[in-house]
Amino acid sequence: MAKKFMDPHDVPKIPGTEGWERMYPYQYQFSKEDPERAAFESKQFWFYDGLHYPIPHYPFDLIWDEAWSMTLSQYTTRHWLVPPALGIDHRIVNGYVYISPVDVADPKEIEKRVPIFTERAGYYFQNWDRLVENWKKKMTKVINDLEAMNFTDLPEMEDISVIKEGLGKGSGYEFLRKWDAIIDLGLLCWQYHFEFLNLCYAVQVTFFATLNQIFPGIPQSSMVKMSAGFDPILFKPDAELIRLAKLAIELGIENLILKPLKADELMKELGKDSKGKEWLKELEIARYPWFHISTGTGWFHTETSWNDNLNIPFENIRTNIKALKSGKKLGRPTDQILKERDRVATEYRNLIKTDADREAFDQGLGLARLVLPYAEDHNFYVEHWFHTLFWAKLRQVGKILKRAGFFEDADDMWYLKRDEIKAALWDYITGWTTGVKSRGPSYWPKEVAWRKGVYEKFKAWSPPSALGTPPDVVVEPFSIALWGVNTNVVKSWLSGGEGGSADELQGNPGSSGVAEGRARVLKTVDQLADLQEGEILVATTTSPSWAPCFVKIAGAVTDVGGPMCHAAIVCREYGLPTVVGTGKGTQFIKTGDLIRIDGDTGKVNILKRAKV
Amino acid sequence: MAEKEKEFTLWYDEIDGKDYPIVGKKNANLGEMIKACIPVSPGFVITIYANDQYLILSGIKAELEKQLNTMGQVTYETTKEASKIAIKLIEKATLPAVIEDDILSKYLKLCERFGVSECPVAVRSSGAVSMPGQMETYLNVCGEKDLIDYIKKCWSSAYNVEAIMYRMNKGIPFLFNIGIGIPKMVNSRVSGIIFTINPINGDPSKISIDVSYGLGEAVVSGLVTPDTYLIDKVTLDLIKTTIGSKETMCVYREKGSDIVQKDVPDDKKKALCLSMEEVKELARVGKLIENYYGKAYDIEFGIDTELPFPENIIILQVRPESVWSKKEAAPKTEKKKDAMDRMLGQLLAGVKVK
Repeated sequence: MAKKFMDPHDVPKIPGTEGWERMYPYQYQFSKEDPERAAFESKQFWFYDGLHYPIPHYPFDLIWDEAWSMTLSQYTTRHWLVPPALGIDHRIVNGYVYISPVDVADPKEIEKRVPIFTERAGYYFQNWDRLVENWKKKMTKVINDLEAMNFTDLPEMEDISVIKEGLGKGSGYEFLRKWDAIIDLGLLCWQYHFEFLNLCYAVQVTFFATLNQIFPGIPQSSMVKMSAGFDPILFKPDAELIRLAKLAIELGIENLILKPLKADELMKELGKDSKGKEWLKELEIARYPWFHISTGTGWFHTETSWNDNLNIPFENIRTNIKALKSGKKLGRPTDQILKERDRVATEYRNLIKTDADREAFDQGLGLARLVLPYAEDHNFYVEHWFHTLFWAKLRQVGKILKRAGFFEDADDMWYLKRDEIKAALWDYITGWTTGVKSRGPSYWPKEVAWRKGVYEKFKAWSPPSALGTPPDVVVEPFSIALWGVNTNVVKSWLSGGEGGSADELQGNPGSSGVAEGRARVLKTVDQLADLQEGEILVATTTSPSWAPCFVKIAGAVTDVGGPMCHAAIVCREYGLPTVVGTGKGTQFIKTGDLIRIDGDTGKVNILKRAKV
Repeated sequence: MAEKEKEFTLWYDEIDGKDYPIVGKKNANLGEMIKACIPVSPGFVITIYANDQYLILSGIKAELEKQLNTMGQVTYETTKEASKIAIKLIEKATLPAVIEDDILSKYLKLCERFGVSECPVAVRSSGAVSMPGQMETYLNVCGEKDLIDYIKKCWSSAYNVEAIMYRMNKGIPFLFNIGIGIPKMVNSRVSGIIFTINPINGDPSKISIDVSYGLGEAVVSGLVTPDTYLIDKVTLDLIKTTIGSKETMCVYREKGSDIVQKDVPDDKKKALCLSMEEVKELARVGKLIENYYGKAYDIEFGIDTELPFPENIIILQVRPESVWSKKEAAPKTEKKKDAMDRMLGQLLAGVKVK
């Protein structure tokens, strides 16, 4: 077995994509220009962030990667001074993002950082609940500011009020200002996203390590069960759909809702009826904010929210009504989940033989339970509520530029970097102010067509799991807890495809149980519709908003994921056998293969290959 | 209590741990396990009182006393002689009808319950005083005639030379009545051992199961490398499975109480010998036993060929775990002044990748 991964500078170029680098920020490139930086790149350990990005990056969508690249690192390096760790460095290869945890090299420097970290992190732990309450206020303000923002076509002439009120500034300027403001809101939202998260992961890593010392080999699922929140906000949207289904039955209007009508037509019908009106009122209450849930992970412009497309929640409400009428119980039994959480924690605690270990256990569990609700809930505010609104607002800009002839399709905008969009807007606005034709319409369509070609080639390429040199020890908490980097994972990445068994793959246990079935390999969210009942979902990663698919599948396999990853938590909720962090599952397994997955041991076996 | 003391036979589920003076320790333990909902092989016991009445009613007691009196005090030198006399008398006498009818009526009920005419049973000695391995147990006994013969043999085994000497050393009288257990034989498809800890490192949060094909003998005496399962004791999730080579298996010789070895077919060697539901049920029962007795246990089990799941899971024998339970537990974590200090220590240590 190889000891190293491919050198990041040696990754082969895909023919026909030459020049792809200009689609992304220059600092994201691996480069040999500077020997010092090149040597650093070669000695670092880079792994593909498939946890967040199952597909190559659209140039604009890299905004969130840049945002977290800045912010996660900033908190580790400059706010908390986590003693042994600096930030996580980012690169892009053929459209795929690779990340690399960076350590503090000098032991003296680590020592110096210890008291600083203790003071700063200590302050947050001591004031946790108050600070989290404050965080919710800050976050809600960011979202309200975003909600108030809208982009419209530039007017033929300025409104008379601009003159009479002596405003002294024009719509073009306002447009550019608003563009800067919305980008700024996005970055601010991500500043807040990490305000607590680095500490959450540090706690998680500590608690899990302590448990492993006391109970060697304790399953991840047990550790999460003990510490997880029992009523995370992410389940609220589903709960609202169940509430609406029950209400429809109570009001006796379920047959009307069951009619296979489009959402807008159905709402019109409901508006004609007093019971229907009552239901619609409750629908509106549920929509804000709970329908601001992404149909994907929230990371990509291609994903919409339930509010963007009400047909999705209506379809789910219909499914719920039918289930309720056939006597099924719906919803999460939170009481039971809470009881089970406490039972598991108490039983483990009772098994501890020494006072010293009991104290260590209590310290770890206490902190874990303090921070876990935030770790689970921030995701709804940021990736769902904020992101889906953000994408919706930005789609307005794409449409405006399309009407101005810059693009053949409004979605072409996403093939531009955000700075390029700003430049295109300058072009559009100065054309408008001057009253001449902009250059954009003759410049961008050609460039976008080329980028689309490149993007398709990226999509067909399978990114290697890792590059560079694996270290002896990983100290960066996110890499350990979120991406699940450990001995097994690195070993499996090193052996994946070469020398490994031809019909077995080793991952991490995600959710208990064994499942056998046909594999369905999904590379993108929009392939979800292909899923058949009883299939085993194989994806780079999954997200809780894939909810409708979890009732269908027999189990799930992901390429990347650790104990805290969304996929593992949700699959446990659904009681689905799941293996996470297989490294190469989506390449190794083909749709139609008969596979067996073991969510207790982390093994995936191919029982019979599909006929090609 | 008064009535139980005058019974010749009792069903296992009519007795409990406190009844050991009436039925012997091993029997009382089995009754206790049934009370705790631990699945054991169904059957009945022959009381110590029955043994006593047999000796009195058949005149053995009087005869024995007479013969022994002529020998004088039994000493180490005369045990062999005394043993011979006692065994001969006990095995040759006729069992009084009141006792025999009682035993056979329970035996027939057991046969009826399993729908077989000559239900194979074990005849297990069970003294009110612990005398490990001093008396006999007979396996795979079938039919009324054999049953009665082996019961007498079992009674007489209390007068083995070793048993007599053992009692002499402990100051226990020569005449010694014992209880007998008559459980249905478990026709094990697979059998093995449950530890309610991880026997490798003493971790109390795990349950370990070693299991192979056939009778427990193969696993207990280390004839085979069994399959091993490691289970989380709290959640009963399976953590790790290792497939053993399981070359050979032990089975009973047809209608005989001795055991013969035979090869395990190749395809079965490579397969795990438990189903997932059996693993979980065994773990559940293991946890139940540990909780009932309040300490780690070492448990022999068999999975019966004929019975449906989950009745097929039968606990054969339980004893307290003896290795790790005797060691003093040392802390596994470092002492830290507070949670923050602990976190710092962990952040500095990181996670090994190589």
